[in-house]
Amino acid sequence: MRGKAGARRHRWCLSGLLLAVAGVASADLSWQSALAQRPSRDEVQAAYLYNFGKFVRWPAGAARGPLTICVAAPDSFGHAISALTAGEQIDQRPLQVKTVDGAGGVGGCSILFIGAMEPKRVNELLAAAAGKPVLTVGDAPDFLARGGTIQFVEMEDHVRFSVNLDAANRGGLGMSSELLKVAVSVTGKPGTGGAR
Amino acid sequence: MMPGSSLSDKLMKPGSRSVSARLMWMNVLVSGTVLVLAVIAFFSYDLISFRQNLIRNIETSAQIVGANSVSALLFDDPQSAATTLEALRNSPDVVNATLVASDGQVFAEYRRNGQTGSADPSLPEMTPGRVDQEWVKGRHVLLAHRIVFQGKTDGTVYIAAELTETGRRARQYLIIALAVLLICMMAGILIGSRVRKMVARPIGALAETARQVSRERDYSVRAEPHTDNGEIAVLIESFNEMLVQIQERDTALRGARDQLETRVQERTAALRAANRELEAFSYTVAHDLRGPLDAVQGMVYILEALDREKRDSDRGEILEQLQQATRNMTLLIDDLLNLSRASTTTMKREPVRLTDLAWQIAGDLNRSDPKRAVEFRIEKVPEIEADGGLMRVVLDNLIRNAWKYTSRHEHACIEFGVVRQRGETIFYVRDDGAGFDPKMNDQLFQPFRRLHSRSEFPGTGIGLATVQRILERHGGRIWAEGSVEKGATFWFTVRSGAAAVA
Repeated sequence: MRGKAGARRHRWCLSGLLLAVAGVASADLSWQSALAQRPSRDEVQAAYLYNFGKFVRWPAGAARGPLTICVAAPDSFGHAISALTAGEQIDQRPLQVKTVDGAGGVGGCSILFIGAMEPKRVNELLAAAAGKPVLTVGDAPDFLARGGTIQFVEMEDHVRFSVNLDAANRGGLGMSSELLKVAVSVTGKPGTGGAR
Repeated sequence: MMPGSSLSDKLMKPGSRSVSARLMWMNVLVSGTVLVLAVIAFFSYDLISFRQNLIRNIETSAQIVGANSVSALLFDDPQSAATTLEALRNSPDVVNATLVASDGQVFAEYRRNGQTGSADPSLPEMTPGRVDQEWVKGRHVLLAHRIVFQGKTDGTVYIAAELTETGRRARQYLIIALAVLLICMMAGILIGSRVRKMVARPIGALAETARQVSRERDYSVRAEPHTDNGEIAVLIESFNEMLVQIQERDTALRGARDQLETRVQERTAALRAANRELEAFSYTVAHDLRGPLDAVQGMVYILEALDREKRDSDRGEILEQLQQATRNMTLLIDDLLNLSRASTTTMKREPVRLTDLAWQIAGDLNRSDPKRAVEFRIEKVPEIEADGGLMRVVLDNLIRNAWKYTSRHEHACIEFGVVRQRGETIFYVRDDGAGFDPKMNDQLFQPFRRLHSRSEFPGTGIGLATVQRILERHGGRIWAEGSVEKGATFWFTVRSGAAAVA
């Protein structure tokens, strides 16, 4: 695992090595700690979610102020994203994390993560976000087909993602070509959204 | 070896290290040095700027690669990053490139020779706070660029490049420099021939002339003048002037020598003439003295005979004749003494009033023969600086002569006066007596030369010679005008205050 998530692992690895050199901890312990710190799927997805924000352009009319990351997922993911975004900024917008239970909480979201849940709720949430400048990111296998914008894909033990440009266009979002470059697949036509 | 001969040795060898060769070599040396220095300077500048350009280009590449690798780093896509790095294949100088993630692990890399996986283990850490950094080692440059996105460092791009172009450029420079040097040398030779015409040839001609002068001692040759106004023209002109001066001196020396010879010949001739004159003079003196002496001897003989015969009848007349003879002798001797004195006596300068002297002489003459009717017209003349005694001898002789040669005339007039002509004061003594034949003019002042017979006018013939000698000693001269029975005029000058002539 690499990237933002990898950095953490490395930090731990380094501290473990230091411990080993200091002779305080056994080699066995350092190995275990390194293993224990291999980032979880939640952590990787949280990091990706945060990074998506850097490559998306919200329409000029969208609300300024804090960039709100709404999470409709188990608490473990909410903790992971909260830990990651604490005190961070994107485009000088401070990040804030909000937990969303129903379709009613979608208003004011910039990014909406929809975790694994029953398809009906997914549809509700997507419907609530449809046409609004909300980047919808989902974990469901048919998330893009349902109208989501970015869908996580598991490939060779790696977390990848696909992009639906049509969904982004509907919400007036601009997707950076840099993002599309590393996407597994891109559907739909490029739009003109995302003027900052 | 004498310095002079070594100089002429140098002058004798025209080919050794000629001016033109020196000038040409100087030309080539100067232009060559300038060119080499210029090439070094340009090459250094070019090398530095080329290197800087290269580094800047690689830096730009690193920045582009970094910007294009952000998403790959953030979304953990090494393949995308490798694709981005592969674009560096278009830069021939880039040897390899490495993308290092923020955790310090190699994320993606590019090798020009295709061997991937052999990551350079010695990638240096960047100095904190710097975005770009470079390490230069010989022809190898390592550049690092920190990838910063949204205020966060996501990784570092390392690009290693080899400045292979530099060597090629150096070779090109060397070839160009050699070509230009060759052209410079050819130009130098061409210019050299022109310079030879302008500078070396006149100097060579000058040297040739100097050689000729030194070898043949011929000072009449001249170096060919130069058309320029520069130092060479001045040199040639000065040289020619020097030759002119030497020639003039040479001519003057030769002239002086010739003149000296002529003068010696003249002097010898004059001395010979003077000697002859002296011989003639002695002969005349002896002869003139011999006359009265013979008379005295004759009278003494007669007196002895009269004594023997105890006759007293003619005794008085003979004694009278005896006395006359001795008087003549005394007169002659006195005149000779005067002449001698006129030549040898020490002269003293004093104010002399010729008018007073003339009146005294006229008075003496009137008293000696009161029966004669002679009118004296004596002008008042300016005082002069001269020897009084000698000037008395001059006037005495001239006036006495006038008195003597007017003795046949019943009425006579003797004048003494002065005229001024061309700033010169000319005195004269004029009479209206017997005069003389103008053809004999030049013989008047020779001693013992008498224009009249002794029976006609008595005299020794020394007086005028004495006068001339005295006036000459005073720096003056005397000349005469006259014709038979029309009187005579004696003109003379006395250079007042002039140095005595020995």
